[in-house]
Amino acid sequence: MGVFVFLPLVLPLTALPIARVAAQHLHPRSATRLLTALGCVLALCSTLCLLLLMVVGTAQLPGNPLPDAWADPQVRAVVPYAEISGTAAIGALALVLGAGTVAIRRHLRVRARAHAALAGLTPRSADRDLAVLPDPAPYAYALPGTARAPGRVVVSTAMLDALDADERAALLAHERAHLAAGHHRHLLAVRLAACANPLLRPLREAVAYNAERWADEDAALAVADRRLTARTVARAALLTPAGTAPAGGLAGFAAAGPVPRRVAALLGPVPPSRGWPPAASTAGLAAFVAAAGTTVSAASSLNASMALFLVLKAVTPL
Amino acid sequence: MTAAVAGNDSGAGRRGRPERRTGARRRGQGELEGLVLSVLGTAQEPVTAAWVQERLGGDLAYTTVVTILTRLHAKQAVTRTREGRSYVWSPVADEAGLAALRMRRVLDSEADRDAVLASFVSSLGPDDERLMRQLLRAAEEAPDGPGEPEAN
Repeated sequence: MGVFVFLPLVLPLTALPIARVAAQHLHPRSATRLLTALGCVLALCSTLCLLLLMVVGTAQLPGNPLPDAWADPQVRAVVPYAEISGTAAIGALALVLGAGTVAIRRHLRVRARAHAALAGLTPRSADRDLAVLPDPAPYAYALPGTARAPGRVVVSTAMLDALDADERAALLAHERAHLAAGHHRHLLAVRLAACANPLLRPLREAVAYNAERWADEDAALAVADRRLTARTVARAALLTPAGTAPAGGLAGFAAAGPVPRRVAALLGPVPPSRGWPPAASTAGLAAFVAAAGTTVSAASSLNASMALFLVLKAVTPL
Repeated sequence: MTAAVAGNDSGAGRRGRPERRTGARRRGQGELEGLVLSVLGTAQEPVTAAWVQERLGGDLAYTTVVTILTRLHAKQAVTRTREGRSYVWSPVADEAGLAALRMRRVLDSEADRDAVLASFVSSLGPDDERLMRQLLRAAEEAPDGPGEPEAN
């Protein structure tokens, strides 16, 4: 089997090209879902692979609770440098676990703190999910709900004052689309996936961008005006001080930042709303390539993990 | 014994903890603003910055307190009126204003908030602004008038 067993660890490299193809040619809804699923599967396989490597590499060490059969010479022959990779896998797993725990705790903490900040605020009668905060800094956020508090749209007065009534409606529609679709789950999922394997990091930005596009498209449908939605995004973006944007990971590839791309996309044609574009078109071909790449990556990742798992199962006397 | 001598400073060091000063400086902006605001909330009438400083326990320099109050004023969390040669301050008794302040504290202290709070727009890069203005012009030049639905 040889180096084949390490495949799940490096296959996440395929995520970046797939993400780019998907973002260009799929409806943002499909792209978000596809990329989130891809990230989760690849992260699971990668972690499973680390787990198995750890088992094989360290089962022969004295004092560990694993069956000694797992460290049989045949099994160890499957994994190159079994001992080294096994020990390295322990360290890697510890890192994965630590990073994942930190990410989840931070997510819950930010959410709880934001809800606590709004706790004293009685909602207005018309829009119960809307929290308008008097603040000279322009911002608008979708705050996902918790078990106790429903999701809320948080907008500063500075942001509202800069927009006209139609644009406000588009802004609210965008934030409500985030809440309705539960985009924070997608974002958290790819964040955790990136914790499991750093090669999956580009997926974070890709999913974040596609989720924004998804909300943009939903908002455009809700207000029945793509141009208005584009104008709202552009206006809001120009309110925020320029030049403070951290250099994004994709900056080298894409000339324009995510917000101008969103506006340009809204000014362009409507993306195909049925999950898949027609197969004969360029977009259809690209979508096919993205889906096929996803499947091949995930399948070979899973295959490599399963193979190692079956080898272990075969030698275990049960 | 030596600790008692070190704390034997009248006034500011009355709690016997001279290192408090640096500790206070290390506290976050948001926390200090919260402290000042809670002290202001206990006042029955508009008060001076010196009054606030005294109630804070003398941990903070007078200028620091004035800076914090000015910052709170910029955030519309407190109001001030001129009385003689200085200002007197009072909190904005508005729950929305307080909520805004608390939210700002969350936003300022959590650098990695993007995973939870999906911001409407991320900030623009230096080249993006010019591009955005072009796009905005394109968006505003609606050929068939505004409100023309293009999606169905």
